[in-house]
Amino acid sequence: MADTGSLITFSGNEVSIEETLLLNRLRSLKSGHKGYYVVHMHLSKLRPGNRKPHFIKIATRNFEELLANFNVTLYRLSTDDIVLLCKDVPVEEIDPIIHKTRQLFSEDPLTDGEDGSLDDKFTTWYDFSNQADLSSFIETANELTVKALQQKKKPDENRPMNALPGARLDPMSTAEIRLKLQRVNMEDLIDEQTCIVVYPEEKGKIMFREKFVSMRALQKRVAPEVNLFGSPWLFLYLTETVDRRLLAIVSQGNFASLKNHISLNLNISSVLGREFQHFHQSVGDYTNKVVIEFQLIDVFSDMNAYANARDMLQDNGYRVLIDGLSPLSLQFFDPALLLADLIKISWGQEFENDDAEDRVEDMRNVVKGMGKDNVILARTDSEFAVKWALSLGITRFQGFYIDNLVTVMQLKGII
Amino acid sequence: MVAPADDGQKRLPSQEKLLLDYLRRLEEHKSGRHAVHLKLSNLKSYNRRDHHVRAAVNSFESLIKELQGQIFILENSDLFFFFKKEVLIQVETIIQKVRFLFSDDPLLENENEDEVIEGFTAWYDADKQFEEILKLIQGLVNVKEQRKNHARARMDTRAALKARQREGEPLTPEVLAKVETALERADLSNLVRRQFICRIDSQMIPEQAFSEMFISISDLRETMIPGVNLVSNRWLFQHLTESLDLRMLSLLSKTDTFTISGDISFNANVATLLSPEFQDFDDNISAAKRGSMIVELQKVDMFSDLGAYLFAREYMQDKGYRVCIDGMTHKTLPLIERERLGADLVKLVWHPEMVDGGEDMQEHIRAMVKRANPARVILCRVDNREAIDFGHSIGINMFQGHYVESLIAEDNRRRELLKLKRRMERAAQEAAEFGEL
Repeated sequence: MADTGSLITFSGNEVSIEETLLLNRLRSLKSGHKGYYVVHMHLSKLRPGNRKPHFIKIATRNFEELLANFNVTLYRLSTDDIVLLCKDVPVEEIDPIIHKTRQLFSEDPLTDGEDGSLDDKFTTWYDFSNQADLSSFIETANELTVKALQQKKKPDENRPMNALPGARLDPMSTAEIRLKLQRVNMEDLIDEQTCIVVYPEEKGKIMFREKFVSMRALQKRVAPEVNLFGSPWLFLYLTETVDRRLLAIVSQGNFASLKNHISLNLNISSVLGREFQHFHQSVGDYTNKVVIEFQLIDVFSDMNAYANARDMLQDNGYRVLIDGLSPLSLQFFDPALLLADLIKISWGQEFENDDAEDRVEDMRNVVKGMGKDNVILARTDSEFAVKWALSLGITRFQGFYIDNLVTVMQLKGII
Repeated sequence: MVAPADDGQKRLPSQEKLLLDYLRRLEEHKSGRHAVHLKLSNLKSYNRRDHHVRAAVNSFESLIKELQGQIFILENSDLFFFFKKEVLIQVETIIQKVRFLFSDDPLLENENEDEVIEGFTAWYDADKQFEEILKLIQGLVNVKEQRKNHARARMDTRAALKARQREGEPLTPEVLAKVETALERADLSNLVRRQFICRIDSQMIPEQAFSEMFISISDLRETMIPGVNLVSNRWLFQHLTESLDLRMLSLLSKTDTFTISGDISFNANVATLLSPEFQDFDDNISAAKRGSMIVELQKVDMFSDLGAYLFAREYMQDKGYRVCIDGMTHKTLPLIERERLGADLVKLVWHPEMVDGGEDMQEHIRAMVKRANPARVILCRVDNREAIDFGHSIGINMFQGHYVESLIAEDNRRRELLKLKRRMERAAQEAAEFGEL
């Protein structure tokens, strides 16, 4: 069938079952494909946060009734795309379910376009009674299969934290890990990341160095078989112990001779505890050299505790930073109301290609509300990210890309 | 009281400290310096919002730029302006201008000019009154420090010890593991409590809107692990709630366990709603039943993964369930927009401070509730009539709490009496009719 495009073939079980099934089905359709059409839902193009396996599973369940009552086959591809192969199914039966699925992801820019409109990026329809559509979908199917193969070869590195391999953290393992955390040597796991202020004409200045315990390294040391990030709550519980160790280690430093300011990411409860008192004594008159970072979720879990901790820190001369803000969370509240000195927004893929004016406007308001000098872009991983932030007036940065920049700046002696 | 996080104003950190530092330096060259204290804190709250204070500060801008003076903005919105004697006339003109800005405030509408001046401004000659200024400002700073120290004292060892004696041993992961294992087998039906959410009219007559089903944490503790404080660590407790969610779901799917009439609500974590257990629960209930159910979510859980919350909300609402944000306080409500989060309802926790905070606080809460839509707000943990009166005054009609339960009991008694009265009347009538025969 040269005129409809040729299907690629793979040997053995290189490809996941769904792709193989789809390719086989298309092969059998080569002749007599009357009444067939395909709806391809591009779930793979959702933002990573919206593409979690259980989301896709729930989305797939929307189609169960359709599958039971009509001649429809659903392929859930390894890229998370969904392909519906339909024969003689009235479009009115499909529409509402597609609409429902689109609604589930209504916060994702992928679903911004209307069903069937020109800028609909969520679905593509192929009518097989049209030769061109058939060939074009066969091409797509081939591409998707290649992608599935590539994805299979990718290492775990790219997976989100909570999808790491290992047993899920449960209360029993939490108890064991906590005991280990109290004793294990942690000093060599303390890492630093620099936050810089970028000035025009390629000049820069170090704002502070964040000191933190590398959690991946710590996991390898204390719990190589357990995925520490498997339960968000138990993980947070363990960080309370890590805080105490970190504070004890950092307290040993000499704050008078400290060249750069530092920051520590702590639980609010840790700041109100005994280890912090010791730390505070060690810091002495140099509290202005220390930034204390809190996670947004910790703030929300007890606003009174946060307000106490914030006031106590600020009155003693520390600066308070709210970490863990995302472009998504900033759409739902105004961080200026938390009365912190600084906020850190994590750069994410979601900023890229997001030209929706209202969301950019949201960001602009956040920067304005906080004062541009009090906003830091964290997890900066590209020049694009830096340029994007600069366009909003943000000049404080942290992240892998910045680490490289700092090295270069240090070599050139401009930092 | 800690600094309210919700006063809508960006506090300028440590201005008090800066002012003290400035004073210490001023001592050396205080001759020829004057100061004026603008007591904006005496104005009504609606007159000292961020932009008002900024406008007042801006009036001094030209003098500041000419290096004729320096301004400090205190946390209570009061301003201190220090200036050279030479510009006294200009400063007086500026103060007149600032007064004009607030001319609609009751403070400045006063007929008695002396009282106005005293309430709004205080002038100082730094040379002669240095000690006086220093004392005043130290006083202002001390008030603030004391407040903070008091807040801090609650978290110290003594307080922790006291809490342990009163509330039991703190929860550890070891104990949590035991509790969760036991929960898998335990029959919790006798620990399920039900509390009604009612519309209450001006005659204090409750009309049931829906009821919340929940597992009593204090009873759970008494039956399973007396002497342990289950809520001592919020992260471990949050994990425990995930196990409780699953038990609640299985209780709710066994409708024969207890008869549920009317709409009901139950607590759930977002993770629970996206779990296979919830899918099973959902598969086994009818579409009509879904329409009568409300899930209550906690903001900390929602914000721990907003993407998951938004997905779950769409999923739940599409199925016909309603979504309620639980546990908002007058301090957190202004932070989070119900409408933007797409929740159907929001629960606001009653606190006497809402009334005791004075007119300003009440006005503030009214504005917040208005923004959230009063028809969608439930005032919960209501334990006295004052709470309901306050709710009514700001447009809230739905309430939950011990006091509401007592109103229901009273209403039931009233109905019983009414029924009894009718029965007696009927009996009397029948007797009369019988007598006629």
